[in-house]
Amino acid sequence: MPIGIIRIRTACSCFRCTMTTAATPARRILTEGCSALGPAPAAKRSGKVLPLRASFWDSIKSGFLNNNTTQVVEPASNFIEEEDTLAQEIILLESTQSDGTLEQIMFSSAGDVDAYDVQALCDKVGWPRRPLTKIAASLKNSYLVATLHSICRAPGLEENDEKKLIGMARATSDHAFNATIWDVLVDPSYQVLMSCLSWGKGLNLSDEELVSPLLTGPGYDFLGDMGRGLGKALVEQLIRTLLQRDIGNITLFADNKVVDFYKNLGFEADPEGIKGMFWYPRY
Amino acid sequence: MQSHGPLLPLRSPWSSPIPLPLRHRTSFPTKPLCLAASSSFTVSDGELESRGFRVRRNPGGLDVAALNEVFARVGFPRRDPERLRRALGHAGEAVVWIEELAGGKPVAFARATGDGVFNAVVWDVVVDPSLQGTGLGKAVMERLVADLRATGVSNIALYAEPRVVGFYRLLGFAADPDGVRGMVLSRKNFQKQRKTR
Repeated sequence: MPIGIIRIRTACSCFRCTMTTAATPARRILTEGCSALGPAPAAKRSGKVLPLRASFWDSIKSGFLNNNTTQVVEPASNFIEEEDTLAQEIILLESTQSDGTLEQIMFSSAGDVDAYDVQALCDKVGWPRRPLTKIAASLKNSYLVATLHSICRAPGLEENDEKKLIGMARATSDHAFNATIWDVLVDPSYQVLMSCLSWGKGLNLSDEELVSPLLTGPGYDFLGDMGRGLGKALVEQLIRTLLQRDIGNITLFADNKVVDFYKNLGFEADPEGIKGMFWYPRY
Repeated sequence: MQSHGPLLPLRSPWSSPIPLPLRHRTSFPTKPLCLAASSSFTVSDGELESRGFRVRRNPGGLDVAALNEVFARVGFPRRDPERLRRALGHAGEAVVWIEELAGGKPVAFARATGDGVFNAVVWDVVVDPSLQGTGLGKAVMERLVADLRATGVSNIALYAEPRVVGFYRLLGFAADPDGVRGMVLSRKNFQKQRKTR
């Protein structure tokens, strides 16, 4: 199994740090360890302070039962402890195969994806088929559609990048206060031929998360673990984009099996006992 | 059982294709033409009229400042009016409110955000404290659900405080169906988990 190599060439495209990374002119690449990917170094941490703001539970507190009359005033604008600029396209990982093929995994918030590719991805994860027109409409009506693409470039063939959709997540929103994340998908059969540790660092997995699949026996769902790493990166970048657009309340409804996955991203289930409810769910 | 589950939050069930109704834009987008018959509601439009209320199925004519007053009276945060207008006006937002005929003020309100084909989430269900317990909350919710269903959306979700879980149950909502949990991002936790590298 060929081991990939992370190549370091040019300055980081975040405009904030002086680290170097492999970069192609058309894309911004954030270096592993760059503040735009992870925590800002102490000297560069934003001086902004989060003003007192109404919490989620204030906003959904029952508005139709006789209630307390405490007034909560929402500030006119919400500061976020995030950098001001966030690239629409971010190369999360890059590797060069032993044959010289360059493979990149790119996150994009541009939502440039067609319904057909989404349907094919849904097929891959084993979801029942949904009509193409409805998929197209759901994408068009989503506030944000985020994608993961695998881009392969054979050596010397700069023109013929092979771009493949390997992940998608979308969020609906009222464009002002709330967003809800739906349909988080990662291609389960995606084969990543590279050094696991190199990939893992970029995927923000802890050392334990990286090492454990290597140490366990056959039958361990390694691809599942890699998928979780890519899924984590996908959702994390989606969240950052939403926060950067000043959408303060980010929500989702999680299948029992993935509640922990989202907890690890910072989500809370049933905050203050608030329950997610569905209208006559068909399960 | 799959060895690799999809990393999804709830995947949306869907209904059979229903052609989307025509919409044309005014200051706020108008509601779809195919509204559910009012005879199917617990309290009909006519009954509400006789009590001095008119049900409105779109945000046209809704006084944002007056709505903020209702929010404040029930203990919700007042919203920035510009943002509130943006939320109400954006295409795809379903809004139902009850107008007090004498004065034109909103006395009950609910809205839903979604993708127009699969999913919607209901937010900001309020009834003016002076009129709580008189069926207005149920009136807006029944109509909001009906309007969403009329556009083909059947995956309708919301977040309910423990005290009102029963209210929504009576309207046909179920908590944690099949173990699905409503989750909210804690920004503090999000920033914290990003720092652990």
